[in-house]
Amino acid sequence: MKRLILFILFFITIKTGMMASNADSALVEHTSLGRMTIMEAMRNPALHGAGYRTSFSQLSLGIDLQRQSQAFVQEKGTGFTLPYIKVETYHHLNVRSAVWGEASYTTGKQHNVKWNSTSDYDLLQPYVLADTAGGDTHRERYTISGGYAMHINRWLLGAEMLVRAEQEYRDRDPRMRGVVTDLTLRLGGGSEFGRYRLGAAIEGNIYKQTNSVAFYREEGVIPEYQMTGLGTEYSRFSGDKRSLYYDGGGVALLLHLSPMGYSGAYGDISLDQHRYHRKLAEYNSMPLTDLYNEHVGATIGWKRESKHRIAAFGHLDYTRRTGNEHVGGTSDARYFPVIACLTMYKQRLFDTHAGVLYGADHWTATLKAGYMSSTEEYVYPHRQMSHSHAYGRLQGQCFLRLAEKLLLTVDAHAAHYISTGKKLSMPFANMEAHFIQLIQRKHDYSTANYTDLGAKVRADLAWKQTRYGLFAEVGCAVTLCSMREHETMLQSSIGITF
Amino acid sequence: MRSKILYISIVMWALVVISCAPVEDDIFTNACVTVTTGEDMAITRVQGQVRLTNVNTRQVVTSSDFEGASVTVELLRGAYQIDIEGVVTCRQSDGQTRARQFRCQSDYAEFIRDDTSISLNIIFLD
Repeated sequence: MKRLILFILFFITIKTGMMASNADSALVEHTSLGRMTIMEAMRNPALHGAGYRTSFSQLSLGIDLQRQSQAFVQEKGTGFTLPYIKVETYHHLNVRSAVWGEASYTTGKQHNVKWNSTSDYDLLQPYVLADTAGGDTHRERYTISGGYAMHINRWLLGAEMLVRAEQEYRDRDPRMRGVVTDLTLRLGGGSEFGRYRLGAAIEGNIYKQTNSVAFYREEGVIPEYQMTGLGTEYSRFSGDKRSLYYDGGGVALLLHLSPMGYSGAYGDISLDQHRYHRKLAEYNSMPLTDLYNEHVGATIGWKRESKHRIAAFGHLDYTRRTGNEHVGGTSDARYFPVIACLTMYKQRLFDTHAGVLYGADHWTATLKAGYMSSTEEYVYPHRQMSHSHAYGRLQGQCFLRLAEKLLLTVDAHAAHYISTGKKLSMPFANMEAHFIQLIQRKHDYSTANYTDLGAKVRADLAWKQTRYGLFAEVGCAVTLCSMREHETMLQSSIGITF
Repeated sequence: MRSKILYISIVMWALVVISCAPVEDDIFTNACVTVTTGEDMAITRVQGQVRLTNVNTRQVVTSSDFEGASVTVELLRGAYQIDIEGVVTCRQSDGQTRARQFRCQSDYAEFIRDDTSISLNIIFLD
């Protein structure tokens, strides 16, 4: 009997230890900073399927808060309050296949948005609808994604689909409304060649947004500008033309090379091209502008994973944004023929950095130093705004076991961006006062110096003898701007892991 | 291995070539505006100002450099509204030369192709 009790106790101890260990190793594997060397490869669903050894799922309920003392980018407002619920999973079906997915719902407010009445500003700027009043907007976002990957002999195959539906609206004048649907499909493959794994994937995207602005108080109507870049607007269709839609999409090609073993060289190349057409809904879908976003990204590095994790890498991003304006002819029963198309807006974005990563048992740190620049040009009448920054970023992560079932994950980062050059060329004498204010402010904040400090703590508690666990996470960050303004961010979430 | 890398490279280059943004950098054209009397008289000299207003952007271009009855202006390609006011000196059928005030106007003229010309009839004001 005594032997039986001892055996049961021994079995329970071993089983508990294994469960805690399995859950911990899954958490560490899925959240480790050391995985940044393969994050780009995770866009390839075939490699995503082989990217983790462990299954891991998480349901979280959280809130993201951001406040800026003055808007760093007026079009994006002074911050947001965005509570969310999210479930994400990665599961190995068997040794040859894996599935993963994510679903989330986010709702909240974007505060004090000005000069922008269109959703997805980062994607569509400068071709947005804008006004001088602005205000808070309500946001609702639904995302759902899922993927499947399988291993057949030396080959990896995978597919993934991501869907985003979002609506943004304001319940007081000017009542903007943007409804977005965004669908992305990825197909990927990979194969093992000697000591290396080579992956290739293709991505297709379809994007649509309907966008309008309404005024309920007739005496409060103000013009809505069809912005065309650097404080210019499409005058003929500005003012009371407040209903439009965006029709877009794009393709991307991704290549990845990484060592099969624990050390070797790795690299990624991505080519993306997306185009977004802005059309006037009330004038028989007359095309106003076309925006082309072309991006090339390349990473090359070397890593070694043993008792110590070491990596050295270099990364380069080049983005070319080109804007074409359609020239409308004479109208005929609310139909405007397009008589010409002219390339009027150009932006070049360049970002390169070199970095190192070092990690031991429970901690990892990375250090990056880089340079980035932006040159924005409106061809005629000529306007130009450019700026560049040198930057450094230090980031660290540490896993601390405080008790048998309590694991603490601490992340911290510090970064500094220092302005290295700026140029502004504008026909201020011929510009209206509110456009001058818009441009000067944009230039001031884009050429300022920034210091970013942040930390995040996550506690994971294993739930008795099951594979379930509870977690709570809190993070905060402060960004100091040399314009004597600042930004604070707070992230908080709780949930279960399984 | 080599052939696979070659195939992938070909696909990449094809993607790059196909996906390049259509760029139209040749955005200017020379617009030649000629004033005509439409009567039995020859224009010998024009003193006046031509004002071209871009219908889409509302940008205004002006010029007074008349050569004979024509003025040539470099413009952003597009649709324009044209207004001309001034004094025209013309020789009448009886051989007499006379200076008369005039204006010309067009609500819509397209200057899209290279070196586009347009003729406008003079309206005499005296």
